[in-house]
Amino acid sequence: MAASKLDEKLVLGIESTAHTFGVGIASSSGKILANVNYVYRPREGGIHPREAAQHHSRIAAKALREALEQAGVKPIDLDGIAFSIGPGMGPCLRVGATVARAIALRLGKPLIGVNHSVAHIEIGRLITGCKDPVVLYVAGGNTMITSYIDGRYRILGETLDIAAGNCLDVFGIKAGIGPMPAPEEYARRGERFHSLPYRVKGMDVSFSGLLTAALKLLGEVRLEDLCLSITETVYSMLTETLERALAYAEKEEILLVGGLARSRRLMEMIEEMAKLHDAKVYAVPPEYAGDNGAMIAWTGVLQLIAGQTLRIEDSRVRPRFRLDEAEARWRMLGL
Amino acid sequence: MEDARPIEGGMMIGEKLEVIRIGAEAIISRLEWNGFKMVSKHRVPKPYRFPELDRWIRDRRTLHEARVITSLRRLGIPCPAILLMDRSEATLYLQLIEGVELKKVLDSLPAEEVERLANELGRMVGRMHRGGVAHGDLTTSNIMLDRMGNLYLIDFGLSAITDDLEELAVDIHLLDRSLESVHHRLRAAFMRSFLKGYATAAGMDFLQALIEKVKEIRSRGRYVEERRKRH
Repeated sequence: MAASKLDEKLVLGIESTAHTFGVGIASSSGKILANVNYVYRPREGGIHPREAAQHHSRIAAKALREALEQAGVKPIDLDGIAFSIGPGMGPCLRVGATVARAIALRLGKPLIGVNHSVAHIEIGRLITGCKDPVVLYVAGGNTMITSYIDGRYRILGETLDIAAGNCLDVFGIKAGIGPMPAPEEYARRGERFHSLPYRVKGMDVSFSGLLTAALKLLGEVRLEDLCLSITETVYSMLTETLERALAYAEKEEILLVGGLARSRRLMEMIEEMAKLHDAKVYAVPPEYAGDNGAMIAWTGVLQLIAGQTLRIEDSRVRPRFRLDEAEARWRMLGL
Repeated sequence: MEDARPIEGGMMIGEKLEVIRIGAEAIISRLEWNGFKMVSKHRVPKPYRFPELDRWIRDRRTLHEARVITSLRRLGIPCPAILLMDRSEATLYLQLIEGVELKKVLDSLPAEEVERLANELGRMVGRMHRGGVAHGDLTTSNIMLDRMGNLYLIDFGLSAITDDLEELAVDIHLLDRSLESVHHRLRAAFMRSFLKGYATAAGMDFLQALIEKVKEIRSRGRYVEERRKRH
């Protein structure tokens, strides 16, 4: 994006949907000036929303200070304050929202509510340089295929039950080898393929039957073979639905977003599929693949330019904010 | 292991005239055999898939599609007739339908025509469902429209012979979402006429049970804003 120094906009963005409290600063010329992230790690077990929220409140001031220092920016230089408004855990979201409201009010700057899933996609477009991709979004508990069509990111396909990442994590844990990437590492030593339920409905997928069937085979067949079978089946289902979505949406780029994008085998499969259609594949690099403040700041820049800001009284968090409920007006401006 | 045959294998019959569609899983070609026009649907090997899995998927879907088309024709649902099946090549030879994908023309049709087609489609799908078949990939690219304004269903590779309400409801969910994502301005009017037509063929009670099921699918974690509203 070409913007002269004079009309360059700076937005500070706050991410706080789950484990991560992050603060990023981005400019309208597409520069990430700061990206400071603190991750809450529970002592044991899964995330407890209220404890994560307490962690976020404790760390907020420090993260803000560090981000401003990293960017070499004074609060008064900022043109907008963005925060992740959803989807996510209510108590966590409220911390980010409260901090953002306070800064916006204090500075008299516009407040910008960003959809967390949209932000994952937008930072991916910025960093990889792809323009109009079909997106395989395999972050957190999500598995969906989406693409920008007519004003929004539309959901072309998704899981009908559990997420692909969950399926492989649960399998690995129950098999005693731990979550991903362990199942994929074991799969490399697999030799025999056992057929498992392969459930594809149009562009939708379903993994729960496959998981149950694989767990039943535990102890009956070689673990390496089972790992090979489950990873190959899950990845084939994702690649096939992605292939169908690519044809359906008539796009030429593929963007992988989220944790499973780190899987070498999945990436290899998708690249082979893309070759058949002369499509290009992009993956978000690890630094920006997890939840982070920079993605909220950058999406905040886009929304500020497109006039998608919020009044304080409309800024309640939306824990169940679906991707396709968010308008993407900047895309209509060609951004 | 399957040997890596070229896409146009030496065993194909007839003379290939043109490739009509390169779909995600199959290549559809128009061909002529002893003066007879037809199409071939060749499920091509996917190099990205584990070979055994690939062969199994292609063979199963070819065989399955043939079975489903046979039962649909028996039910009087317009779809291309099967002329030949060649399992060794994962290829079906089918009746040629001279028409276009509904997806390509739907947005440019007059409103009354959209409603008429939606109603007609509703009747077809209602009849298909009462006959125990779920399409499995019911989007506007898998519906053909010919010059006379007749609709045909195509591509049954993901279909199921079933009377499980859930599988049938997924069809409605997929159709609705394909409208939402690609023809969203027409979605409301289209679905209204579609459901009217569906009720005519399948009965109001059946339709209501089905709609409940569609709502349930949509509320299952993913369509979460709707789930919240229900509570």
